[in-house]
Amino acid sequence: MMNTSRGTWLTLFEASQTTNTILRALPPLDAMAPAMLQTPHKDDLTETWAFLEGGIDSVMLKLEEGVDMKTYMALYTAVHNFCTSQKAVSSYHGPQAHRGAHLLGEELYKLLGEYLSRHLQVVLQHSKGHAEESLLGFYIREWTRFTTAAKYVNHLFSYLNRHWVKREIDEGKKNVYDVYTLHLVRWKDDFFENVHEKVMDAVLNLIEKQRNGETIEQSQIKSIVDSFVSLGLDENDSKRSTLEVCRQYFQRPFIAATRTYYENESRQFVAENSVVEYMKKAESRLDEEKARVGLYLHPDVAKDLTETCLDVLVAAHSTLLRDEFQVLLDNERQEDLARMYRLLSRISDALEPLRSTFESHVKRAGLAAVAKVASDSQNFEPKVYVDALLQVHTRYQNLVNEAFNGDSDFVRSLDNACREFVNRNRVCQESSTKSPELLARYTDSLLKKGSKAAEESELEDMLVQIMTVFKYIEDKDVYQKFYSKMLAKRLVHVSSVSDDAETSMISKLKEACGFEYTNKLQRMFQDIQISKDLNASYKDWQDKVLDDDDRKRLVDAHYQILGTGFWPLQAPTSDFTAPIEINRTAERFSKFYFDKHNGRKLTWLWQLCKGEVKANYVKNAKVPYTFQVSTYQMGILLLFNEADTLSYTDIQAATKLVPELLDPNLSIFLKARVLTISPEGAKPDPSATFSLNYNFKNKKLKVNLNIQIKSEQKVETDDTHKTIEEDRKLLLQSAIVRIMKSRKKMRHVQLVNEVIQQVKSRFPPQVSDIKKNIEALMEKDYIERLDGDEISYIA
Amino acid sequence: MSSQITLTSSDGVDISVDRTVAERSILIKNMLEDLGDSGEPIPIPNVNEAVLKKVIEWCEHHKNDPVTATDDDDNRRKTTDIDEWDQKFMQVDQEMLFEIILAANYLDIKALLDVGCKTVANMIKGKSPEEIRKTFNIQNDFTPEEEDQIRRENEWAEE
Repeated sequence: MMNTSRGTWLTLFEASQTTNTILRALPPLDAMAPAMLQTPHKDDLTETWAFLEGGIDSVMLKLEEGVDMKTYMALYTAVHNFCTSQKAVSSYHGPQAHRGAHLLGEELYKLLGEYLSRHLQVVLQHSKGHAEESLLGFYIREWTRFTTAAKYVNHLFSYLNRHWVKREIDEGKKNVYDVYTLHLVRWKDDFFENVHEKVMDAVLNLIEKQRNGETIEQSQIKSIVDSFVSLGLDENDSKRSTLEVCRQYFQRPFIAATRTYYENESRQFVAENSVVEYMKKAESRLDEEKARVGLYLHPDVAKDLTETCLDVLVAAHSTLLRDEFQVLLDNERQEDLARMYRLLSRISDALEPLRSTFESHVKRAGLAAVAKVASDSQNFEPKVYVDALLQVHTRYQNLVNEAFNGDSDFVRSLDNACREFVNRNRVCQESSTKSPELLARYTDSLLKKGSKAAEESELEDMLVQIMTVFKYIEDKDVYQKFYSKMLAKRLVHVSSVSDDAETSMISKLKEACGFEYTNKLQRMFQDIQISKDLNASYKDWQDKVLDDDDRKRLVDAHYQILGTGFWPLQAPTSDFTAPIEINRTAERFSKFYFDKHNGRKLTWLWQLCKGEVKANYVKNAKVPYTFQVSTYQMGILLLFNEADTLSYTDIQAATKLVPELLDPNLSIFLKARVLTISPEGAKPDPSATFSLNYNFKNKKLKVNLNIQIKSEQKVETDDTHKTIEEDRKLLLQSAIVRIMKSRKKMRHVQLVNEVIQQVKSRFPPQVSDIKKNIEALMEKDYIERLDGDEISYIA
Repeated sequence: MSSQITLTSSDGVDISVDRTVAERSILIKNMLEDLGDSGEPIPIPNVNEAVLKKVIEWCEHHKNDPVTATDDDDNRRKTTDIDEWDQKFMQVDQEMLFEIILAANYLDIKALLDVGCKTVANMIKGKSPEEIRKTFNIQNDFTPEEEDQIRRENEWAEE
C-alpha cells in the first residue's frame, strides 16, 4: 500500500475528486431536488447556460432592482450542479481518466467569457456617443456597474472558482483566471484597449485646466486612476496586481503632458519675469504637483512626476538661477538665497558652482572688513580686529545655517574662505604672524583684571568666539607663544580675572590642539598653585626658626617658584644689588627652599618682583604714604634712608643697574615728584644729583610707581617673534630627525612632505626652511646624503 | 450579538440559526453580504433537513473556531488527525457521511469538508483495493490490463 503520509496528502488534496468518485456509489441526486427551485437540468449545458445567462443579465443590467435569495441560490446551485454532474464525468473518461475525475466547468467558463465580450461590445458602442468629461463620467459609471456586477457573478460562480479554475491554475494553465479577474481581463481587452486614449485625453485636458487655475471634478480622475490600477494583473499570479497598466496607459502620457506644459510655461515666465519671481513660481509649482499626487494620483507616479518637474522647472533653468546667485549674495537676500538653495539642491551637481562663488564672496567680505579696520586707524585695538573677523564669520555662518540648511559642503567653503582672510589679509601683509598675535592680545585683554567683559557668562561666550577665530589660524605656534607670555604675566602679577576663566581657556585650547600644545600652560598654572602651598609651609617654618630680633626686621613676602622649562621668562638683563632688607629675606627663603629641594638652582627674577614701601619722612602727612614699586625702584629709594641727596653715580654704583633700567625709573620718580633733580629740569644722566622730596603730595595714600616702561613692551614683542623663529627651527629639526629615525632611508621630496604633514597643525612651514634645516642636520651628522636623491639616518 | 436567520432545507423545512453560525458557510456569508439580510428564509436547494441539521450542529460547535487558514495550510493537509468531538460527530452511517461531505462542499464549509474527507481517508487507510471496494460498495470496472497499468504507474508509492 501507499505510505501513510503521502496517501493522506493525496486524499486530501483531491478532496473534490474523492467526492466525485464517491458519488458513483450513491443514488442519483435528481431525487433530492424538489420542485421548489427551477434549477435547470444539471446535465444539459444549453439549458444550464440559458438559465445562468438570464441571471447574469439581471445582475449586469438591473442590479438596482435587486436580486432575491431564491434566484441567487438557484444560480449558485445551477453552477454547482453542472460542475458535479455525472454526464460530464463519462464524457471526459479519456486518457486522463486514471488520474481521477476530471473537473467540470470549462464550458461554463468559456461561455461566461464570451458573454462578457458581447456585453462589453455594447458598452463600447455606447461610449462612442461621449467625449471629454462626459466620456469620463460614462467610463466611471460603466466601470462601477461592471465591477459591482463582477463581484456578484464571482460569488455565483464560486463553485467554478473553487474547483475547475483552481485546478487549471494549479496545473499552470495560462489565461485562466478566477471569475472576478476574468471580468477585469475582458474589460481590459474588449473595452479599455479601445477607449484608453480618448479617456486619457480627457483626463489630461482636465488636469491642464486645473493647472491653469480652473476648478475641476478631481474625484473623476481619482476614479479613473483606481480603475487603471485595478486592471494591472500579474500574468503569473492573478491574485496579485501590478502597476503596469497604470504606468503604461496613465503615467506615461501624463508625464509627457506635464513636461510639455511646464516647458512652455517656464519658458514664457522667465521671459517676462525676474529670476527671483521665477524661483517662487517654480517652487509653488513643485509643491502643487506634489500635492496633486496626494489628491488623486497613484503614489507610484510621484517619483517620475517630481523628477520631470525638477528637470523642466529647475535643471533647464539652472544656469539662469546660478547667474543670479552673486546678485542675491551682494544684496543679502537670505530668503531668496534659501529658495535657490532648496531648488538647486534637488538636482544633481548644481550646487558646486554656488559653493565656489560663495567661498570667494566670503573671502572678499573678510578681506574688505580687515582692510577697513587697517585704514580707519594705524594703531587699532586687537578687539577691533578680532571683532571684524568674527562679524564676517558670524554673518555667513548664519547664512549657511538659515539659507543653506547647514549644508556641510557650504560649511567647508565658509571654513576655506575664513582661513584665507584670517591668515592672509592687509594687516598680515608685513608679518604673517600678526593675526595670532592680535588674537592672543585680545584674549589677554579679556582674561586680565579690569577688562570690559563684565559678566562671567559673557566672558565665556567671548572665549568661545576666540576659539572660532583660533580654529582658522595657521600659525598656531605664534598664538601659543604670545599666549604663554601673557599668561605668565597674568599669573606672576596675579592679574587674572578668574581662575575659572583661565582654566576654561586652556581646556579649549587643549581640545583644539591636544595635550602637547597646552602642556606648558598647564604647568605654569600648577606652579602657581604649588607656590601657594610652599608659602604656607614657609610661614610655619619661620614661626619655628626665627628669633625675636629676626622677627622685628621681617619683610612680609610672598614667593613664587616657576619652573625654568615651562615659563617664557628670562633671567634679568641687568645686574642688580638688592637692598639689604630684601637680600636677607631672600636668602632666608633660599635656605628654606634648598633644605626642601637639594640641588636646585634658584634665579631671582628681580625685574618681575615688586613691593611696597612706606614714606615716613614726608612732612604734612598724618598717615604715611605707601609707594607701590618694583624691586629696582625699591633698591633706588631705600638708598635715601642713608642720605637725602645722592648722585647718579652713587645710585648706579649701589644698585648696579644698567642705565637702560636706571634712567627710566629715575624719570618715573621725578615725574611723580618723589625725587627732585639738580640741576633742575635736567634728564637723568651721570652728572645729575637726586634729592628726596620731603614735601611730596598726592591725592591718594597709595601711589603706584610701578609703571611699565614703553620701550620694554616693544622689545618684548620683537623678542617673542625671534623666539618663534628659533622654536620653529627646533620643531622642524626634531620632526626631521624623528621621521628619519623611524624610516632610516628616504627620498628628499618624501621627507619634505612628511615634515609638512607633521608640523602643519602648528604652523605652515616653508619648503625652503625645511631644506635649510635638513642641510643643518647634515652638517651636525644626524643624517647624510646618499647617491641620487636619497637621505639616510646616521645612528 | 448575532441575529437569527432562517434556512429552508430542500424538503421545505425552515430551520432558525444564528447568523454567525450560518456564516461558517462561505456561500451563505457571501450571499448575505451581497444581498443583505432581508429576513426572508434562505433556500438551500441541495441539502435536506436531516443533513442540514447535522451540518448546523457542526457549525454551532465550531462557531468560535478561528476562520480556517488558506488552502495551502500544510498542517491541514498532512494529517488525518481528527479531534474527538468531530470523530464522534462523524459516527454516522455511510450514506449520511457522504451527504455531509456533499453538503459541506456545496455550502463551502472547508473545515467540515476536511473532517469528512479525513474520515473517509481513515476508512481507506491500510486497506487493499479489494477491501476498499467492499467497504464502499464499488464495482471493479477496470479491465485487468488497466489494473496492471495503474499498478505499474504507482509502484513508486508501494512500500
